Amino acid sequence: MNAATAVGATLLLMLGGAWLVAVFDRIAAALVARRPVGSLWLGPLQSGASLLVSRTNQTEHPDALNWALAPALYLVLAFVGVALVPFSTSGALVDIPAGIVLWGAVESLTVVAVFLHGWSANALFPLLGAYRYVAVGLPIMLVSMFVLIAAALPAQSLALGAIVQSQAGLWNVVRQPLGLPLFLLLGLSLTLRGPFNYADSADLAGGTDAERSGPPRAVWQWARLSMAVSFSAMAATVFLGGPLGPAWGTAELGPLWLTLKTAVVLALLVAASHLLARMPPSRMLTLLWTVLLPLSFVGLVAAGIEAAP
Amino acid sequence: MNDLVSGIDIAFWALAAIAVLSGWRVFSTDSMVRASFLLLLSFMAVAGIMLLLAAPYIGVATIFMMAVEMMVMAVFMVMFMMNPAGLNPMSMVHQQPLAIGAGVVAFIGLSAAVLTSPLPDQPVAADHRAIHALGIEMLGDSMLIFESAGVALLSAMIGSVILSSRSGRFGPADPGSRPPGLCEGGLPAGSVPDENKNHGMGHGMQHDTPNAAPQDTHGAHGAQGS
Amino acid sequence: MTLQALLIVASALIGLGLYGVLSQQSFVMLMMGFELILNGVLLMTMAFWSFGSAGAPKGQLLAILVMAVMALEMAIGFALVTAVYRQRQADTTEALDTLKH
Repeated sequence: MNAATAVGATLLLMLGGAWLVAVFDRIAAALVARRPVGSLWLGPLQSGASLLVSRTNQTEHPDALNWALAPALYLVLAFVGVALVPFSTSGALVDIPAGIVLWGAVESLTVVAVFLHGWSANALFPLLGAYRYVAVGLPIMLVSMFVLIAAALPAQSLALGAIVQSQAGLWNVVRQPLGLPLFLLLGLSLTLRGPFNYADSADLAGGTDAERSGPPRAVWQWARLSMAVSFSAMAATVFLGGPLGPAWGTAELGPLWLTLKTAVVLALLVAASHLLARMPPSRMLTLLWTVLLPLSFVGLVAAGIEAAP
Repeated sequence: MNDLVSGIDIAFWALAAIAVLSGWRVFSTDSMVRASFLLLLSFMAVAGIMLLLAAPYIGVATIFMMAVEMMVMAVFMVMFMMNPAGLNPMSMVHQQPLAIGAGVVAFIGLSAAVLTSPLPDQPVAADHRAIHALGIEMLGDSMLIFESAGVALLSAMIGSVILSSRSGRFGPADPGSRPPGLCEGGLPAGSVPDENKNHGMGHGMQHDTPNAAPQDTHGAHGAQGS
Repeated sequence: MTLQALLIVASALIGLGLYGVLSQQSFVMLMMGFELILNGVLLMTMAFWSFGSAGAPKGQLLAILVMAVMALEMAIGFALVTAVYRQRQADTTEALDTLKH
């Protein structure tokens, strides 16, 4: 597929996926609270539109440049993540030999974007949210890199196309059972959801987004949803076989399978964000460094032993 | 073919300009957090140049590592700098003419060395599998170098934790880490950490230091009259 | 994009970093100068690898070692800054003057 089609498909996946995440959020919230869901399909669009017409808040001496750039950076990173994903066996929009490492760079720059968003407001709760997020977001990145390296071992390559090809016999979610659950935790952290929502949490009155209203808030929330799509596409590629499907001989069905698997991972992500318990930052840090990181290392060692020739 | 070469050239000069300009702005901006992220921008420009040089792994790994490093640097900026947001601009430089002279001399000296010495000319092939070659080399012939780097990183981790631990080598670090008093010889700003909580970390050692007595640099705590 | 152009850009980064190291009073800004110098060194390494060694893998290994040195220097540097602040409440180089004549 040529570049224009690929860009169009990427944008379509991002926009449609962001809408789908918002819809899933509404369904999950209604299920958890046991009340009927309101306007399911138009609700996200309505709340976005209402944000677009409200007034933008100002604080005293904000870092205006970074306050405007942070949501834009977050959006660009989400786009880069989706651009890395191979839509079909013919390749991805951004096809570099070190695709996994570029995704790692996207993760670390996400932490930078969230910190800048909280820092720039020059207000207390956003800054607290940014600091808490940095403390938790950096270690969870280590967990994700171990998990991704474990997925790259059977493929003997860091490129996402090769990782997809290596799952032609058996998907990585079966071959490396620790991989997808740990990667989902990273997804919660990247999209500021669930137990990893230290940046925008309710106990900080909205955290990094507390002082924001109007169009910039709409852009930030949209960027969070787009990052969920980007993460889910990456998880579907690395663990669920990406564009591979029963009829993968025909390259045209590849995007369909990828979209379906992305939707499945999105549903898992939203479910995890509403069902997992939250903990104070200190306890989460203990869990990260003493339980999750050794678990990911065990998974890496197991994958290495299994992939050794 | 000529178009493709000049496209790479334009990209290279643009990235080089970004790298040098943002590197200069690191030291001339008021906001310290902006300084650390400007340095990140400089690193990202250099990483872009490395991608142009057909080294994809090194380029992307530079972005990855430097993003995390500059994030930690920004946190340290806020910890140790007087006005991290640049709201009260102050110039904290010393021996500026000497520094400018040294920088210019270094640049001119290195450039002269570059321009006058015969440089090698064996360009890397366009379809060279750089990551594969790096992997085979790193875990094959140069395994000792790689493992030594790993051990060095481990010792740096242990060393940095020891150097900055709260129960320091010469006594607890609490007296030194408390901020100075709000007025001369008064109570320190912020909360005073509890001396005996979490002390000993399982060793059961009891320190004999008197309760919450900062060092003389802050004046005798409570010893003066009100 | 010749080897000479790359090396001159890297020299500019090294010169800027050296200016930063010598002119900044604050420890953290001094370390930013070090990082800039290592940035220039990293670019020089990769330039020589790409233009002068026909892709010998030891060049990339040297670049990885430079990155490891960056990480090491920053970790130990910040640990030292923390330790010296706790001992003497010094956060600028001007405050450490016990060895001054």
